[in-house]
Amino acid sequence: MAMISKYVTKESIRRKNLQDKIVKNIFFSSTILSASFIILIVIFILVKGIAPFVSSKYISNVNLFDFLTGIKWLDGATGISTDYGVGFLIINTIIVVLISLLISIPVSILTGLFIAKIAPKRVREIFRTVVELLASIPSIIYGVFGLGVIAPVIMNIAEVLGFQSSGGLSLITTSIVLGMMTIPTITVISENSIRSVDKILEEGSLALGASPTQTQLKVLIPAAKSGIFAGIILGIGRALGEATAVSMVSGNRFSGLVFNPFDTTSTLTSRMLLGIKETTGIDYDIRFSVGLVLMLVIILANIILKVIMKKVGNLDDN
Amino acid sequence: MIISDRKLKARRRKDNSVKGIILSFSSVGLLVFASILIYIFKTGGGLVGYDLLISDYQDFNTDVIVNEVSGDFTYSSTLDDDEYYSNKWDVVLTDTKDREGKDIVVISYIGENSPLRDVSDLNSIVDSGFVRVNIPINSSVDSIILDDYDFIAFSKFGAETMVDIMNMGTSIDSMTLVKEGGGIRGSLITTLYLIGLTLVIAVPIGVFSAIYINEYARKNKLTKYMKTMIDMLTGVPSIIFGLMGAAIFIPFVNGTIGTSGGSIISGALTMAVILLPVIIKSTEEALKVIPFDIRTASLSLGANQTQTTFKVILPSAIPGIMTGILLGIGRIIGESAALIYAIGASIKDKVILKERSTTLAVHIWTAMSGDRPNFELASAISIIILGAVIILNIIAKILVKRVSKVSY
Repeated sequence: MAMISKYVTKESIRRKNLQDKIVKNIFFSSTILSASFIILIVIFILVKGIAPFVSSKYISNVNLFDFLTGIKWLDGATGISTDYGVGFLIINTIIVVLISLLISIPVSILTGLFIAKIAPKRVREIFRTVVELLASIPSIIYGVFGLGVIAPVIMNIAEVLGFQSSGGLSLITTSIVLGMMTIPTITVISENSIRSVDKILEEGSLALGASPTQTQLKVLIPAAKSGIFAGIILGIGRALGEATAVSMVSGNRFSGLVFNPFDTTSTLTSRMLLGIKETTGIDYDIRFSVGLVLMLVIILANIILKVIMKKVGNLDDN
Repeated sequence: MIISDRKLKARRRKDNSVKGIILSFSSVGLLVFASILIYIFKTGGGLVGYDLLISDYQDFNTDVIVNEVSGDFTYSSTLDDDEYYSNKWDVVLTDTKDREGKDIVVISYIGENSPLRDVSDLNSIVDSGFVRVNIPINSSVDSIILDDYDFIAFSKFGAETMVDIMNMGTSIDSMTLVKEGGGIRGSLITTLYLIGLTLVIAVPIGVFSAIYINEYARKNKLTKYMKTMIDMLTGVPSIIFGLMGAAIFIPFVNGTIGTSGGSIISGALTMAVILLPVIIKSTEEALKVIPFDIRTASLSLGANQTQTTFKVILPSAIPGIMTGILLGIGRIIGESAALIYAIGASIKDKVILKERSTTLAVHIWTAMSGDRPNFELASAISIIILGAVIILNIIAKILVKRVSKVSY
């Protein structure tokens, strides 16, 4: 009896069970904490972002309609006027991102195809590693590169074409930098989905007499299109939310819609970073409202793209 | 219908040209990567060095006066060829070159009891007299005026002559010191602090969450929702995390620890949230490949679930956790937008956890976003950041391969 009790007693079992319960609760609370941050983010930015429109602690409130449709960041002096507007920022952000996609989508899909199907094994490894490294380069370095290399090139091109440009800080520079940053995101996912297309489709196409490139372009890429689309959605998310690199090359203009590729522009994110070091009060707090708008734009873009994706996918099934 | 030879040839030609187009598009990534490397090495390569890492950011530029001395000190170490010791002032002057290659004389050693430990700044006077300053080691000595202009030493004489002249005098009326700033020591230390503090917060929470989801959680709606919510964090742009830091953590840290405004602590809390999904994901990956049998074997041997988790499951998951940590460190080093909000963007030489500072990445942003962007410094820091991030990613990749190769 004494020997057994050394190993297992009711007491020791109870202690072990209690230990289990405590540890499980610690793990559970960690998980709850991890999961709650997304809700905290939404709630706090919502509260802080809505305050400039309703709170009485400011000189005057920002008008929501004017804010969303304004084509000038601030009409009046900082700290006195509350006539903020982000309408032009929303449009400019969308334009910048769309142009960046024109650059990154073809490059990414073809790179994905090349890595997945065309490149010999060793070349494939090199390309894959480079794409992974590109993905790991911090955005600030893309900003340095954009300001140091792309902006001067764009300035020269603009000069040759007879456009005014502010040292190369422009819509097209911003789009190129964003395009470079989204290439790895879209490429990795495109490659995966092209590689996982059923072999039968490929072989069938080749057996019917299509050439390898015809098969790749007309069978493999269309078959992988839902995966490619998912990659594009991710890329758009990254481009919309990118801040520091954009703030360095966009030129940070204060007002107006920009369609001229050589003109300076500004996006929601670049606006949020501008002058952050020396600002307080409403001029600081309004950044939360801009952040709120940014979140809404990203969510809306995701919803629209997912709807499109579903439609495209359905067509595929028929 | 038979395809003619000519048609086949034409098709092959077309095929090859399409292939060429695909190849040229594919090389864009390669080109971008190569140009980034070439640019930052060409612009900042000359600046990268030990000197940059240990130098302060602020310039030190001042005239000092030293009261009379009659000391006779000794120097315990041996002197190099270009080092000269003054036994009267207990300092070592060294001939050297500055970053631009000009000959300068620097103070490379100041003795424990040296009169130069107790100097007054000639340019800042308060009611009680001159303000005391500390002479930073390696500040360059431009000129020394001794004993009412009886002796004057200039740096162009070289260190040996300067020491000789210094030894003749008994008081320094004016010594002009310059210490070139532009270093990144403060930002480097901040980055290291931030990495340490963030990991201390994020790793336990992340690993525990992953264990709960993988080992304990029932397959119910709550678990599914929690998993989705953690996944959603990966899609949040870093500037939104910055807003979160400003809205939640800065007030929280202000209230609990008593800081004012952003601090390294609030930055670490913000970064911890950014890292959570990374650490949870890679821990989960490692937990998933551990076979179910091992768990049941441990339980059937009489271990309770806690013992099984900590003594059987967790040790096997360590490579996965390490992967998460390495990727996380890379993320901290490269992060800029979130930290501009959560810590601030003013470069500091004296790093205090409860105050604002900049990490290396934010240092770049500050250096570039002024009126005169400093491309050399930005590129030099970029080289350091890129080197660190690439090494971390390569090690993480090797670890991942090892995790997936483990056979039980």
